Amino acid sequence: MLVIKKKIFPLILFIGLVSTIIGCKTLLAPEYDKAIVETVTSTSEKTMSFLAKVSEGTSKSNFSEREKEYNDLIGAYDALKIKAKARPIPKNTATKKINELLETRGNSLSEDYPSAFAFEEISKTLKKMKETDNESGLKPTAVEAFKGQIETFLDQALTYESFLKR
Amino acid sequence: MNENVIELINDIKEVATNILEKDISTVRGFSERQVEAIAKQTIIIQKGILNGDIDEDLKEFFLDGLEAMALNFVNTLKGILSVTIEKVWNAIVDLLWKAIESIT
Repeated sequence: MLVIKKKIFPLILFIGLVSTIIGCKTLLAPEYDKAIVETVTSTSEKTMSFLAKVSEGTSKSNFSEREKEYNDLIGAYDALKIKAKARPIPKNTATKKINELLETRGNSLSEDYPSAFAFEEISKTLKKMKETDNESGLKPTAVEAFKGQIETFLDQALTYESFLKR
Repeated sequence: MNENVIELINDIKEVATNILEKDISTVRGFSERQVEAIAKQTIIIQKGILNGDIDEDLKEFFLDGLEAMALNFVNTLKGILSVTIEKVWNAIVDLLWKAIESIT
């Protein structure tokens, strides 16, 4: 009898523990959105092609020839930011518990949208580039720096969005 | 320890290790690219300031940009970490659920 009790007690305990956890199957990050990844990919190609075109620098005298391209790209990244932010970030008991555990080690899970932030920064970079181009034209090293900034944020956005595909 | 418990522990270890190994290799590649990109950007800004291609106004803009890049690099890593924890958590829950189903 004692042996049976010894075998059954851990089993009951185990089932109790598991039943508690089962209710906690969770979502800790937004859902993957194929449309966002596809749009980022096509917009980044257009952006890189535009940056290659102005890599030698520009003159403000023919800024009007580039204005539409700036506006199209800025609009595309603003739209991507809205799309990325439109997905809710799950907030549930599991997230809270995991954050409590991580905070004891000085960390926490992100409650922000790294891709939306990156799209916003790319849009800001293109706006600054457009403004400078219009006022004084762009020098080659300045174009290189604008390109470096855009590429880094694009990598962050694409890596994060692709990673959401579980 | 009961054989079933040992088997379950091994299954949990295996599923968690598989997810972590795959995700860590992605994180490593991303981190290397980002660190290199941020370092390169710093050099480009220095070069632009020295040769006069980057004026005072652009210098401020690019320095703010460097700060934003570093901040969002960390936030992207945190975002990736959330997904990895979620995958491990859910895979373990799945295993436990299957273990319960097999004895009920």
